[in-house]
Amino acid sequence: MPKRSYRSRSIRKIYIKTPGGKTVIHYERKKPKKAHCGSCGAILKGVPRERPYKLRKLAKTQRRPERPYGGVLCSKCARLLFIREARK
Amino acid sequence: MIEIGRLCLKIAGKESGKKCVIVDVIDDSYVMVDGDVKRKRCNIKHLEPLEGTIKIEKNASHDMVVKEFKKLAIEIKESKPKEKKEKPKKIRGKKEKVEVKEEKPKRKALLTVGAKKEKKETKAKTTENKKEKPDKPKEEKKVKKKIVKENKS
Repeated sequence: MPKRSYRSRSIRKIYIKTPGGKTVIHYERKKPKKAHCGSCGAILKGVPRERPYKLRKLAKTQRRPERPYGGVLCSKCARLLFIREARK
Repeated sequence: MIEIGRLCLKIAGKESGKKCVIVDVIDDSYVMVDGDVKRKRCNIKHLEPLEGTIKIEKNASHDMVVKEFKKLAIEIKESKPKEKKEKPKKIRGKKEKVEVKEEKPKRKALLTVGAKKEKKETKAKTTENKKEKPDKPKEEKKVKKKIVKENKS
């Protein structure tokens, strides 16, 4: 029997093969849902789907697109926003 | 609308939201752009033309564009490359000499031919000295022993 706290459906099992040949179960929290655009709700590209402790290990440029509103708005919505500002 | 000197706003890429000016028209879809952005080729689809125009020549230099932008009160952030610091060069194989403490001569060095002779001479000297010195106490001992024997008898 695993530890009582691991007997939860919010935790996923990962089967890992050790160098000795055994298969061991590792327990991890489930991944969050994909990042979505703030205005249209489309799935954002270039934003990794990981838990925060794994995102922290990445470089800042790998966490979101390197443009204003990157990681918040999708490219289409950001472009429309800039055009609207220019035509004011 | 797309002409040399036309002020534009970049819509796409990491420089989106920044102002630039068209310096050269390359073909139907591409123009050369300079200003608050890096001087480079740019697709027309990634530009939003603004109302103003600047009087500049074709392929005007970056400094000229900066001057014109200053007149319009548009600030341009310029990043200067970092000055390189000189690092001490490491030469492979040539290590700096470290001061070594004076070591005692090793046993092997003493056992060489020259050293052997010296050793023998020094030994002979010491033995001669030893032979001379212990003569006196031996006699005394003998005398003492004789006294003890006489007493016992």
